[in-house]
Amino acid sequence: MAVIKIENLRKDYKDVRAVDGISLEIGEGELFSLLGVNGAGKTTTVKMLATLTEPTGGDAWIFGHSIRDGKNEIREIADISMQETAVARKLTVGENIDFYAKLSGLDAKHREERKKFVSDVFGLDQVKNKQTQKLSGGWQRKLSIALALVSQPKVLFLDEPTLGLDVISRRELWKTISSLKGKITIILTTHYMEEAEALSDRIGVMKDGALLFVGTKEEMFAFTGKTNVEEAFVHIVSGGEYSA
Amino acid sequence: MRRSFSRIMTLAGRNEKEILRDPLSLIFMLALPLFMEIVFYAVFHKLTPQFEMKYLAPGIVVFSEAFLSLFAGMLIALDRASAFLTRLFVSGTRAYEFIFSYALSLVPIAFVQTAVFYLVGGIIDRSIFGVGMIWGILLSVVTSLLFIGLGIFFGSVCNEKSVGGVSSIVIMCQSVLSGMWFPVEGLSGGMITFMKCLPFKNATDLMQNALNGVTDPATDIIKPLLIVLAYTVVAFIAAIICFKKKMKA
Repeated sequence: MAVIKIENLRKDYKDVRAVDGISLEIGEGELFSLLGVNGAGKTTTVKMLATLTEPTGGDAWIFGHSIRDGKNEIREIADISMQETAVARKLTVGENIDFYAKLSGLDAKHREERKKFVSDVFGLDQVKNKQTQKLSGGWQRKLSIALALVSQPKVLFLDEPTLGLDVISRRELWKTISSLKGKITIILTTHYMEEAEALSDRIGVMKDGALLFVGTKEEMFAFTGKTNVEEAFVHIVSGGEYSA
Repeated sequence: MRRSFSRIMTLAGRNEKEILRDPLSLIFMLALPLFMEIVFYAVFHKLTPQFEMKYLAPGIVVFSEAFLSLFAGMLIALDRASAFLTRLFVSGTRAYEFIFSYALSLVPIAFVQTAVFYLVGGIIDRSIFGVGMIWGILLSVVTSLLFIGLGIFFGSVCNEKSVGGVSSIVIMCQSVLSGMWFPVEGLSGGMITFMKCLPFKNATDLMQNALNGVTDPATDIIKPLLIVLAYTVVAFIAAIICFKKKMKA
């Protein structure tokens, strides 16, 4: 069943069309990756779905709530982890989790359950008394994603979650994100092809605001005649010009 | 409503921790003014009445509150730069909840500042102990809100690099335009009128008059109080408008 429905979604910034009338449906528990070069419109799409940016045209519904007039309802059921790490710098890891749990309005019993859940999933217990600003980039990113899960969202937007991380931290985060598959509907944007290949149920390829392809990686290979996501992506985006 | 209040209190608790865990904030909001209170009294109080404790202590209170602008502004600008606010915005926190939380987190700090400077001042010169001190501590909430409002406004419009410099202007204005370090009688009439139109001298007068007692409450308390309140309201309205605009962008 589709829990995210996007219809002809469009966003214009002055003379630039950042998102050009995309339509898409995403099922419950699905991990959908949006791929694209810089300026393709991935982050703008995610920001519109997360109700951070008003669309210029079209609409999208998340669990039946419109991103235009159902912002408050969507904010109750969705959360986002952005490209930039968004944590309280001088609070400890434990205090950050507690802070988000209280802000999300959970009662005391559920707060404790959620705190334990995110600490277990992300292995945060070992750093819970450390001040966030003293953590490595990898740990900060882990915490940032963990905080998005504290409120028990039904939909999670991950905007380039592993940007700037070393290869080991990235693999660790993949493992954590994989463990969430099927439980939460996730839309992930990334520049890393191997990330999309390892994690996604389906992949969407964007260029100049338009959605050029949507399908599983197998369908992507069949569509392009390639055998890995990177080659298939390059083929789609360049119209075959840069294909190996 | 209850949920909103709970969110404001949660945010305020976090803001307070962020500010108090910065050693610089403790140095500038507490240690430096305290050092100035003790040293300036010891060196100058016999040379000029300006530095008698009954004038110096309330002046130091308002001077230390000016640093609230700096630290409020820096916290907001850094939160905006790190996408922390955007993240909270998605989770349903409203603009007015952010503003109230920043204000609420700083008022207790101002309250402690005032109590410490009056207590130390009273230990040095016992003549300042009295009912006026209680009035002074209560009115310091009003004067602190002026500087908090200015800080929130600067934090909303400036980035994390420029907010320190811009907020320093408030501290400089409080030093130069409040008349706390020198007698204003020697200045030109135009300059005195200019100082009386701004909130800095009025905030200092209000605190000094509250501590030392008044002959005419309308002139000595109500007039400076209304001027300070007017600037405070304008600062908060401007802060809310700019903050909302920035968050929307």
